[in-house]
Amino acid sequence: MKMHTMKTMKATAGKAMFGLLVSTALTLTASAASARDLTVGLPGTVVTLDPHMSATVFTDLNIASHLYSALVTRGPDLELAPDAAEEWTATADTTWRFQLHPGVTFPNGEALDAEAVKWNIERVLADETSARIKPWFELVDEVNVIDKTTVDIVTSAPYPALPDQLSMFFLLPPEWSAENDTNRMALGTGPYDLVEFQEGNFITLSAKEDYWGTAPEFEEVTFRFIPEESTRISALLAGEVDFVTSIPTSEIERTNQNEGTSGDAVASTRTMFLRFNSKVEPFQGNAMLRRAMNYAVDKNLIIDSLWDGYGEVARCQPLSEDYFGYNPDLEAHPYDPEQARSLMVEAGYPDGFDLELDVPIGRYLQGSEIGQIVAAQLTEIGVNVQITETEWSRWLDKLYNDGMSQATYYGLAWPTLDAGGVMAFFEDGNTQNYQDDPEFTSILQEANSSVDADERLALYKTATERMCESAPILFLFQQPYTYGISDEIEWSARGDDWARAMDMSVAGSAD
Amino acid sequence: MLRYITVRAAESLVALFGVSALVFVAARLSGDPAALMLPMGASAEQISALREELGLNKTIAEQFVIFVSNALQGDFGASFQYGRPAMSVVLEHLPATLQLAGAALLVGGILGAGIGILAAIYRGTLFETGLMTIALLGQAAPVFWVAVMLILVFAVNLGWLPTGGYGGIENLILPATALSVYVAASLARLARGSVLDVINAEYVRTAWAKGLSSRVVYVRHVVRGALIPIVTLFGIIAGELLGGSVVAETIFGWPGIGRVTIQAIEARDFAVVQASVMIIAAIFVGINFAIDLLYGVLDPRIRLTRKA
Repeated sequence: MKMHTMKTMKATAGKAMFGLLVSTALTLTASAASARDLTVGLPGTVVTLDPHMSATVFTDLNIASHLYSALVTRGPDLELAPDAAEEWTATADTTWRFQLHPGVTFPNGEALDAEAVKWNIERVLADETSARIKPWFELVDEVNVIDKTTVDIVTSAPYPALPDQLSMFFLLPPEWSAENDTNRMALGTGPYDLVEFQEGNFITLSAKEDYWGTAPEFEEVTFRFIPEESTRISALLAGEVDFVTSIPTSEIERTNQNEGTSGDAVASTRTMFLRFNSKVEPFQGNAMLRRAMNYAVDKNLIIDSLWDGYGEVARCQPLSEDYFGYNPDLEAHPYDPEQARSLMVEAGYPDGFDLELDVPIGRYLQGSEIGQIVAAQLTEIGVNVQITETEWSRWLDKLYNDGMSQATYYGLAWPTLDAGGVMAFFEDGNTQNYQDDPEFTSILQEANSSVDADERLALYKTATERMCESAPILFLFQQPYTYGISDEIEWSARGDDWARAMDMSVAGSAD
Repeated sequence: MLRYITVRAAESLVALFGVSALVFVAARLSGDPAALMLPMGASAEQISALREELGLNKTIAEQFVIFVSNALQGDFGASFQYGRPAMSVVLEHLPATLQLAGAALLVGGILGAGIGILAAIYRGTLFETGLMTIALLGQAAPVFWVAVMLILVFAVNLGWLPTGGYGGIENLILPATALSVYVAASLARLARGSVLDVINAEYVRTAWAKGLSSRVVYVRHVVRGALIPIVTLFGIIAGELLGGSVVAETIFGWPGIGRVTIQAIEARDFAVVQASVMIIAAIFVGINFAIDLLYGVLDPRIRLTRKA
């Protein structure tokens, strides 16, 4: 009896002991994990750390967002959130007032105050800076310091998307920047400090000990530049990196089958389409013909066959649902070659026509293949397509200088996630405007000049409806934003090119 | 000899000037950097303002005069992307390329020449067939394929070596191996052929007849006599690799001048393109010169008959 009790006790003690061990082990793993470092494999190379000298989100600005604060930031939910500014309001049609977080200082003691904000905006606007992001702030007339933590930005015309645009505008310390190489050094108020930057190789950051905002989870973060996609995947599979972006959809399965990693895709904010040149025959003034084209392409087939089902069909607008101004009432043109053919007859082209299609290479996800599939499908309805593939920079030159062929494969995303940014490409006067639609332009301009959200939403509803009807483009789909990730890491997936350590955490950690 | 060197140096300068003029014009005809640098949708005025600020609105001839006069003072212009002198951007990436090319040339050179020479000496045997099959496979396998396979086997499956990056010896092994396969395979067949060409030559028969040991015959007479074409090809390959192997550098994320140049071309970063072409051309010229000098060492007759 006694023995029995002893045994039971032993067993119980043993179990308890085991439980204790397990829980200790778990705690140990957990604490070890939260002190874990993070390594990200980026598809491009960072060329500059100066946040005013690059407009590229997925490389340069992405890194800058770790080192510097912006006035506002766009969280993983794609909503604007406070950063250096605690709140912001439009005090007049042309004035935005920002209330800064008090007491934020750069590591060298300079204050991130209203004067510093003013200096930063003026730096971007100054001719001698040749700032690459200057076009974003062309409407800014003056910056007024109201007091230490209050700053007014006055624009020459209403600029409703200014706060959105400011989420990509990072703030440098004025005095330090005047004396140091801002391209290769960094001193910011962001959650991370620069440790080492080796061009073409990697950049290492470490978390600030006394960060004034929410402290990030990872102590040390390394971004490795891995231009080749197969190497990026290999680095993930080999456990060298925890997170990679821009992998082919066909490789997602492979990352899932590998133990310890997985892959997925989210719809990106980039809508792909064929842009028609409505300033030349046969599309000039022929909305019927442009609509006919829209019925001729099987968007789902392309998504399924090329992208393994990742990607979303665009709903008759160049916007994804993440955009302010997205019109949920519109529907995509169904795939209906019969309808396409009969519209072609009505549009005056019963025997089809010859079409020159430009396709930029090396820029869009499987652009070449998509160009060919679209061409083959258009051939079905009697359009004889001839594809010209062009290297990106050459293609851009043609596009900017009125040299576009009758149509081109093209995609648009606008980082402010405001319809105004995307729609501006279809306005009269835009360098890439290939249509004449003054009425459409006036709707857009009205929307751009109002700071009343409801009014703007109503105007964009009208604009998107009109665009769907007049079909200046062949609406296709949102390109998927693909990524592969270690099972030890969690990421709030977002499709707008930002891959930030702040949006990542150790899997299973409490937050 | 001094006269020869002077003439060669002058020729080289003319070549460098010609190359840089050609690249200067071709780059500027190929696209507008201002449009690429600004965010999409920038207005025509904004683009032309940036062009003005970058000095790109002048005619190509004017720009070239400015470039040449600055270049003569050692200033090759500032990079649009990196915001600092283009030459320093290129020179900073040169050590990575030198390291990779050096390792690949050393390993590949010894391996390739060795395989070729052995194959010739053991001609007609199964050993030769084996060696030449390996060489043929090496030549048939493109660098990118070898590179990807090496990564899959040694980095992903075995986990012995990193998939890429630059820094330690462990980062160097895979890219250097991938490139040395290419070097060795290219050299092996030529080496075998040129050894076979001399192996039956009369002076070799004489050497045998004199009763020299086979080691002396092979090393001093056969191999030395066969070296000229091998050295020539090796020089061409060396120039190619030292100019930056774009494929290997891209796959392994190796920060050498090949990648910097390609990236600069894509971004129309003219100053960097110009500076790197200058460096690559100078390397080519230098290697050619070194090989010319080497000919004289290998075959004294060349030095005597050359009238330069």
